Parts: sequence; structure tokens; C-alpha cells
Amino acid sequence: MASQQREGFSVPASISHAALGQVTTKSLGVKYNCAQCASSFSLGKNDAIRCKDCGHRVIYKARTRRMVQFEAR
Amino acid sequence: MAPKRKLVKLEAESDEAFQELLQPEYKGKKLTDEINTAEDKWNLLPAFLKVKGLVKQHLDSFNYFVDVDLKKIINANELVLSDVDPEFYLKYLDIRVGHKSSSGPEVREVIMPPHECRLRDLTYSAPIYVDVEYTRGRKIIMHKDLEIGRMPIMLRSNKCILDGIDEKKMARYDECPLDPGGYFVVNGTEKVILVQEQLSKNRIIVEADEKKNIVQASVTSSTHERKSKTYVITKNDKIYLKHNSISEDIPIVIVLKAAGITSDLEILQLVCGADPQYQDLFVVNFEEAAKLEIFTQQQALNYVGRRVKTIRRAGAPKLSQLQEGIEAIATTIIAHITVSDLQFREKALYIATMARRVVMTMHNPKMVDDRDYVGNKRLELAGQLMSLLFEDLFKKFNSDFKANIDKILKKPSRTSEFDALLSINIHSNNITQGLNRAISTGNWSLKRFKMERAGVTHVLSRLSYISALGMMTRISSQFEKSRKVSGPRALQPSQFGMLCTSDTPEGEACGLVKNLALMTHITTDDEEAPIKKLCYVLGCENILGIDSATLHSDGNFGIYLNGTLIGTNRFPSKFVSDFRRLRRTGKISEFVSIYTNTHQTAVHIATDGGRICRPLILVQNNRPKVNAEHLRKLLNGEWAFDDFLAHGLVEYLDVNEENDSLIALYEADMEDTDSAFTHLEIEPFTVLGAVAGLIPYPHHNQSPRNTYQCAMGKQAIGAIAYNQFRRIDTLLYFMVYPQQPMVKTKTIELIDYDKLPAGQNATVAVMSYSGYDIEDALVLNKASVDRGFGRCQVVRKNTIQLKRYPNHTKDVVSGMRVDEDGQPIFEHQALGPDGLGEIGARVVNSQVYVNKSVPTNAGESVLGHNEQTPSIESHRETPAYYKGPEPSYVDQVMMSVSDNDQALIKVLLRQTRRPELGDKFSSRHGQKGVCGIIVQQEDLPFNDDGISPDIIMNPHGFPSRMTVGKMIELISGKAGVLNGSLEYGTCFGGSKLEDMSKILVDKGFSYSGKDMLYSGITGECLQAYIFFGPIYYQKLKHMVLDKMHARARGPRAVLTRQPTEGRSRDGGLRLGEMERDCVIAYGASQLLLERLMISSDAFEVDICNKCGLMGYHSWCTTCKSSENIIRMTIPYAAKLLFQELLSMNIAPRLKLGDIF
Repeated sequence: MASQQREGFSVPASISHAALGQVTTKSLGVKYNCAQCASSFSLGKNDAIRCKDCGHRVIYKARTRRMVQFEAR
Repeated sequence: MAPKRKLVKLEAESDEAFQELLQPEYKGKKLTDEINTAEDKWNLLPAFLKVKGLVKQHLDSFNYFVDVDLKKIINANELVLSDVDPEFYLKYLDIRVGHKSSSGPEVREVIMPPHECRLRDLTYSAPIYVDVEYTRGRKIIMHKDLEIGRMPIMLRSNKCILDGIDEKKMARYDECPLDPGGYFVVNGTEKVILVQEQLSKNRIIVEADEKKNIVQASVTSSTHERKSKTYVITKNDKIYLKHNSISEDIPIVIVLKAAGITSDLEILQLVCGADPQYQDLFVVNFEEAAKLEIFTQQQALNYVGRRVKTIRRAGAPKLSQLQEGIEAIATTIIAHITVSDLQFREKALYIATMARRVVMTMHNPKMVDDRDYVGNKRLELAGQLMSLLFEDLFKKFNSDFKANIDKILKKPSRTSEFDALLSINIHSNNITQGLNRAISTGNWSLKRFKMERAGVTHVLSRLSYISALGMMTRISSQFEKSRKVSGPRALQPSQFGMLCTSDTPEGEACGLVKNLALMTHITTDDEEAPIKKLCYVLGCENILGIDSATLHSDGNFGIYLNGTLIGTNRFPSKFVSDFRRLRRTGKISEFVSIYTNTHQTAVHIATDGGRICRPLILVQNNRPKVNAEHLRKLLNGEWAFDDFLAHGLVEYLDVNEENDSLIALYEADMEDTDSAFTHLEIEPFTVLGAVAGLIPYPHHNQSPRNTYQCAMGKQAIGAIAYNQFRRIDTLLYFMVYPQQPMVKTKTIELIDYDKLPAGQNATVAVMSYSGYDIEDALVLNKASVDRGFGRCQVVRKNTIQLKRYPNHTKDVVSGMRVDEDGQPIFEHQALGPDGLGEIGARVVNSQVYVNKSVPTNAGESVLGHNEQTPSIESHRETPAYYKGPEPSYVDQVMMSVSDNDQALIKVLLRQTRRPELGDKFSSRHGQKGVCGIIVQQEDLPFNDDGISPDIIMNPHGFPSRMTVGKMIELISGKAGVLNGSLEYGTCFGGSKLEDMSKILVDKGFSYSGKDMLYSGITGECLQAYIFFGPIYYQKLKHMVLDKMHARARGPRAVLTRQPTEGRSRDGGLRLGEMERDCVIAYGASQLLLERLMISSDAFEVDICNKCGLMGYHSWCTTCKSSENIIRMTIPYAAKLLFQELLSMNIAPRLKLGDIF
């Protein structure tokens, strides 16, 4: 929230990605699904947003493989 | 039953909604059942809705615009000429939307489907093609299929890809088959052009002010070229003509003389006829003309010409007074009547008619017209508004194009031969952009008509299916909301059956915003010329051929076509019935209306667009023409609604023609009477609209309750559309387990509310419980809540655009940051390695769901990087933080590209909410309440079967509200539950209370719906029988979670240093003016000081006691001393005020004194 941004530590504006501790792998291993042909593929950093099979321009991120716990109430 | 169904399915027809009609059992009726006309004539209604649909008026109007009006606009502006080269011309030959000349109109070009446009923030549009013919050098060249822009397409119109496709294909396009269409998708948002209500154009409206003794007849002339208003008014009992472009009111006699009626006798005959009373009233007007010595047409024209306000375009030749006069009479006065070859007679007759109406009203003040009468109103629809806009843009397009070619042709020597097509394409963006901008902002500004209208379009509300549907039938009025007149707001008797009697908002727009009733149709323009010809054939004497003396003779009726006198007839009733016969046989359009007005001795024929009309069953000899045989054909599927029209069994009546008919409500009303009925209602419940039609037994409720429900029905959370989980809207609410109501209405089935419901059938006990149920609060059963009662999902869209900058830098999404252990930091826990939220991940307050970074050097110029080549691209993080008291889950992350090639990321965040204290619920009877307490099921009362209620409602809600319909809903619902049937609560009908009570008794319950309950706390039986049964409850969108707010300390506004305002800014709670009054009255001055200053914007200032002005650092800059400085605390806003006053040369000096 806004307050935390103000009070907590804020990242210095311009340091390189490595200094920030950011993960910068080429292929991120995240899968995306095409909205039209439902094919699954992964995208690199600078790839165009486009289905690799049918060229459709709407893609969805695939569901996480992490464990998600819901509170059933 | 099963094999029969299969058979029907094999015959699979394209239209699935109509399949139901074809099934052997339709709405509980078998083919072999006896057909009772009185009961079954309502089947015409689904048949009507099948062809017309609820939003048909929008679609019809848009189709008319695209198919007919566009061509008219092209024809009216077909030539583009050059001022430089007289040889050059470009002529538009044809215009088409959505298909090329090579294919017929039935073959549509493939355009991007609407759902993709919604997702990608694009405009759902089709190309506009024109065929042109132009000169290149000496040659004439034809060019086909030149694209001049893109036209936004109304969904489900005949240019839409969804037109006429079946449910399967709809699903393939991610579209909901129940979605009504009728709106546009512009830049990804759904926009509706609301129906606009206006006073009818080109008709004479007579008004009188009895106090001031003024009578005026006015007509608003509207043509493609201009819009102007002409008045004929009385001043000191003399009649004048008034027009904006004439500086002074002109005596009516002079105007008529100018228009070529020079004989005083003829003027008298045209205005007054032979009536001596009218003649006495009118005769003074001759004196004025005689006094001014105007006797001939030329003198009159000179008189008029002298008073014309001339606005001449530069370069136009100066006209003489006579010419000005002719020009004024021919084109500006009553502009909608065109004058050719100086034949003024038609216009003179029109002015004489206006004068006659004024004289009639002077004689009898009751002869005025009612502005609020629905017959005097016209509804302007999307098509008409689009056509105004398009014509404006097209004219601009042509003039830009002309300027462009003039510029090129002016050059003395050109390298190549000039091709006009090269410069036409430059402007094609103007039409596209102009249309898009107007629809997305709702600002219709047309210089031609001096029209500056804001708020024409609205975002389609997708709160629930009903709210979207309700928006499509809404009519907004052009009247100002602030004016304190009750007339336009009141319910007009002529609204019956045309506009919903219940559905209007409360508050400032009350009565000004209306809704269409279920069976209304709005007409589109029809050709006038053939009707005129027909009138002459039917025995109407041409107005130009008759003698002025006989015009108003007794028994001679004037025939008016769209308000203009075209002839007379001596046998009006025969004329009218002949005309109607032709209409019923389908020789002329069914939407042409004709009626007699005996007061004006006139027959009016209307072919113009925007009239409201509705179908009625024809009656002959007090027997409806529709009989069992016809209905059987309808049920068999042999006939559709249009066949009823074609066979003259049903016809459309507009409001004016309704006045000429005697309409029976029920068939029984026609028996044993002397009155000759002409029509029979199809179904009385069609007086209500789609939204009011949801209410069960509305005829048992107090009327404001139905109005309240109409407002609340649109706020109910429910199913939105079949494609609801595919939609990515800013905010959507879904109910988790929606149910169709136990007590339905026919309207509910017709508008498919039972397929997309918004509510649940709750078992309600009407009794007092605890004390947490006062003031309409409800007691909820915790077990019911656990099982999913009132549970809803809230999904919110967050859009992130990755921009590209001119210096080749662009926004990026950076990955997540990790701590020493390699685990993501708290803020980035919901992110995936790509820096976007992981689908299904939980996001809590202040966590990031898109880790966007913008380049730090984005503002740098493209050229100036010679000094130091941009080092490694440096970015600054601008993440999207989640903010909210409750966590959300990432539902979808959509990535796409918008039209300017920038990446578009939409993140959908989802919350599942169970009902909590303070959430708002309502039944369908305007009975809203908040949840006051949630009680363990163990503590709730239960009946013999062990059933405990889902909701306990306090009985105090009933006596003052008088919502008897709710009680009957409970009984019918209970009977339905016990019987295993769905009961009906249709307006003016539905399941009878007696039958319901019978079912209850048969099933061993009390006829009254009351049960004996046992206390859940003591186990004893309660002292009274409790009214107990199912009522359909809606959960409304107002939920505590979205409203709860508290603050101790927080942000302050920069200027005043006072706490910010509003929950969204984490603002403070205001101790307002009236609260301040209370504190003053109580004398709690220290509290006041604390609230208004110390806790708000206290500020220490140094004040000089000598000069009274403020200094700083213990130094008075005015007195140049620190001698008399006193430090004190004042509100910062007060200090600001003093400084602002100083800045405008007012010196507020403070005089300080001791308090004690």
C-alpha cells in the first residue's frame, strides 16, 4: 500500500538488474496458451506477443505450477 | 417424452430460441391441447419478440442508417469539384459497409470478432467502401471499393458477424447467445447510444399562455441542410410571424402577401374559412398591413427583405431587398417545405394553417397541443445520430479533400498527371477517428445544426444481465433536470403500453428517464412520395387544385402528410378506412399511421421515423380476428408474427392512431356492449417493460415499490452472460450459485432471465428475532451462508500498457527480486519468473502483480545521444501494487497487442465473498435490507420437518410498504416447492392465490402459508404461527468490504494540508458544518478546536502584533523588527486565505488580545 512505499526501503532508481538481485534468465519457463488454438508455448523476453502456431494475438498465461492453498470458507 | 424431443432436434433449425415454439410441448401446452384464443393469444408475444427482440429498435435504426441513409447522404453530397480546374470532378456512385462490390451484401467481409475487440481494446468496425468516378487528365476513371474509413458496427446488426448465426457459432466467437446486442465496441468498451426523446420535428405545436394572453404556434423545421424554428405568435391580439433570422416580428398578413396570397379575401378564407367568430378575431390583422401600405406581393417581399438578418459568406454577391425577401420566404421560413420555381402556394398554405391554429386557440384556449403527449414526441435512435455524425464527417472529408486537390492543381507544372485518389486516402483516418471519438466520449458536436450534445453514449452496464438489458430499453429526455416543472416528469396516459409505467429512476432524473415497454416498436423513416400519390388516388383533392373558399367549408377535412397539408377530402371516414385497409393488406408499410382529428377537421398521416407504436389484435364485430386456427398455425411453426401482420389480423398502432380506436383489454370486455371495439390487447402485462416484468404479482404492490425494485433489479448480482468467465471487464460481479425464481413471470421467460438469473430462493420466516433485525435488517442462517447462499465473486481488471518511446526505449516487465535465500521478497511473492502474477496466486495488500519498469531516459530526444551512447538501458520500477483489505487471487493474465502496436497486459484479480454483516439484500418488491446478524443454524427456529429459514425478516417491513405481492410470492413459492412446480406471478394474471392455498392444504400445510415453528434456543413452540416460505432474494452490489474505511493518521492534501477526502484516498472523516453547529450549541469549544484545527491543519505562524501581518523566523518583514512577534497556532487554510487576500491587495490584519 501507499504507506509502505513511503516508509519502507525503496529501491534506488538506477542500478542494473544484477545489483537488484533480479533473475534474468533467457527463457523464463513460463507457459502461455493461445486464446484461439489453445496451444501451449513459452515466450522469451523480446518475443512478440503472438501465438507461435496460429499467430493469434491474444494469449493467456498458463496456470501456475506452484501449490496454491485456498481457505474454504 | 424423450424420443419426441430427439425428433425435433433432428430437424435442427438455425434458430434455437424458436425451436422451443416448435416443440410438441410449448410452455406446458401440447399440440393436441385445446386452443383457447383468450388464453393463448399471448403466444403472439414470444412470436413478436422472436422477430423484433427487445433491442430491435436499435438494430432496425442502425440497419436503416447503413443500408439506406448512407446512400442518401452520398447522393446529397455526390460531387467534389475544384475551384482551380473546372474540368475536374469526382463523383460518388455508391457506398457500402462491410462488403466489396464484387460480392453481394449477404457475403460479409471477415472482420475481427467483437470479443477480440473487447479483449484487445480495439474498435469493432467494418470498412466503408465507396465507388467513385473522377477525371484524371482528360480521362474519366471509375474506381470501385475505395476505403474511406471504418464504421463502428452495432452488435447483432445486419453488418455484424453475429447476425443470424446459431448458438454453436456464437460459442465459437466467445459470444453469449442471450446477449441482446445493439451496442458498439469502441476501444474495447461497450458503448450504448441511448434513445433520445424529443419533440417531433416538422409539426405544428400550439401553446398558450393564458395569463399573458399569448398564443403561439411553432414548428421546428429540420432538413439535411439546416434546422430552424418558425413561430406564429399573437401580440396584443394581432398575429405575427417570428423567426430567428428576421430581426422583427412580421405581421401575418404581410407574410402571406409575400408568399403570394395578395387578396385579403383569400387570406381570410384560408385562415378563418366562413366562421364569423374566427373572422372577427382575425380581421384586425388586415388593418396593420393596410396602415403600412402593403398591398402587393412585391411590397410585402421588400418589407420582409428589409428585416432579414443577412449573414453572407465572403464573396457572395449582394442581394437586393426584394431578393432577400424572396430568399427568406423560400428557404429560411419553414425550411422543411421546399420551394421550386417560386411556387410559394404550399408554403403560404402552411403559414395559413399555422395562423388558423392560432386563431382557433385564441377563440378556444383548449385547442392547444400537449408537449408531453407521447404522440407529439419522437425518439431518436442510434442510426439517426450516427447519420448526423457521418454526414458532418463526410462533408468535412470532402472539403479537406477539395482543399488538398486545389493545392495540387494550383501548381503550374506537375511532374506527373494528377491522380485524385492519391490525396483522398490521406483523410480516411478523419472519418474513422471522428466516429470513434464521438461514440467513445459521447460528445455529438455538429456545427451544421449548432448541436452540442454531451452524454449521448454510455458504457453498457454489465452488472447483471438485467442491467445490460435495462440499459438497451432506456430513453433519455432532452429536458433539463434542474427545471422545476412537473409536466415532463408526470406519467402520461398516452404512455400506456408504449413506455413502462414503473421503470424510472428516483431523484433528479425521475420521470425524465423512461423505459420502453415490452412490445414497443420504434418506426424508421418511410418514403413520403408514394403515400402522397396514394392519397390522391383514394380521393384526396390536391391542395394546389382547390379553391381557397372551399378549403375550410363544413365537412371538408384537410389531409396532412407528416404535418403538411396536401389536400382535402369530404368523406374522411371512408378515406381513413380505405387507407387502413390498404395498410392491413400490406400494400403500404405497416408503420404508416393515419388518424382523424375532429377538432382540427383533419386527417393526419405519419410516415416519419421515431414514432412509438405497438401491435394490437384487430377486432371485427366485437370478435377478435385472431382465432384458434391462427394460433394453432403459430404453435405449429407454420406462421410467424409477420404472417399475422400480412393477413391483417394484427396491426401496429402509434400513439396518435390509438386515439382513433377503442381497445379492449380482454375478450370478455367486448361481450354484451354497444360500443364497437376496434382492437384487442395482445397481453395486458406488456404495459410493463423488461425490468419491471421481473416482479411477481406487481399488481398487488403499492406502485412506488415496483419502481424501487426496477432500480434495484439492476444492482442485483447474478449471472451476466454465458461468456462471463471469458470477459475481462473493469469490474464484474458473479453469483456463485444463482437460481431461477420459484415464482416466475411470463416476462422472465421471454427475456431469458431464468437462464441468467440474479438471485436465490431463500426460505424466509417473517418474524422478529434477536434485535439485530430492526430497520429492515435481515437475520441470515450461518449454515446457509456456509452452503453458498449469497456467495459472489468479484473480478477486477487491471490494465498495464507497455509503451514504446520515440528514442527506441520501451517499458519492460522485469522478473521478481529475490532475497539472500533465493526466495522472492514479500512484495514479489505472487509473481512468476516473467514478472507477471502467477495464475491462481494469492495477492495480499501491497504485493506486486505486474512488475513493470519504465526507462529512465524515456524523455530524451532521439537525436541527442552523440555524447554518450545510452549506456546499459536503465529502468525504474513502476510496479502495479495490489491494494485492498482482503487478498485476491490472480484469475487470468491476458497479453495482447493494441492497435498502436504496444503490448497490452490485462490482469484479472478475483475475490470470493460470502455474505457478511452489512451486505445488502433485497427481495423483488423494493424491500431492501442489510444483513444484521448471522446466526448459527442451531439457534434458529425450525418447523415440523426440521426446516429452518435462510433469512428471517422482520414483519414491520410489511404494514407501511404494502407489498402484498411479496406475501403472495411466498405462498405461491411454497406451493410450488411442495408441488414440484414453478408458479407464475405474471402481472394481471399468474397463479391464483386460491389455487395456491389449495395446494398448501392438500400437502398438509395451512392455507395461509403460516407454519408452527419451534424456537431453536429453548425448543418450545413459538407463540404465534409464522409466515414461512421461499422468497426470491437478490444480493445487491453494495457490500461492506468495498465501503469499510477508517483512518487515524494518513495523507493530507498538498494545498490546504487538511486530511484528504474519500475512501479511495484513505481520507479523513469529516466533522461537517451541521456537526459543528451541534458542538457549538453544546459549548464544547475545546473539542471544536481539536477537531477543526489541531487534528486537521494546525500551523504555527509568527504574527506581528504591530502591523497585524504574518512574518517568519520571529521577524516581521513589514516592520523590519522582531519586537512584537507573537507565535501562535492557526489553521493552515486560514493562513492560506490571508496570503491569498494579500495577493489581491487586501491586507487582513490580525489584532491579538489576551483570552482571559
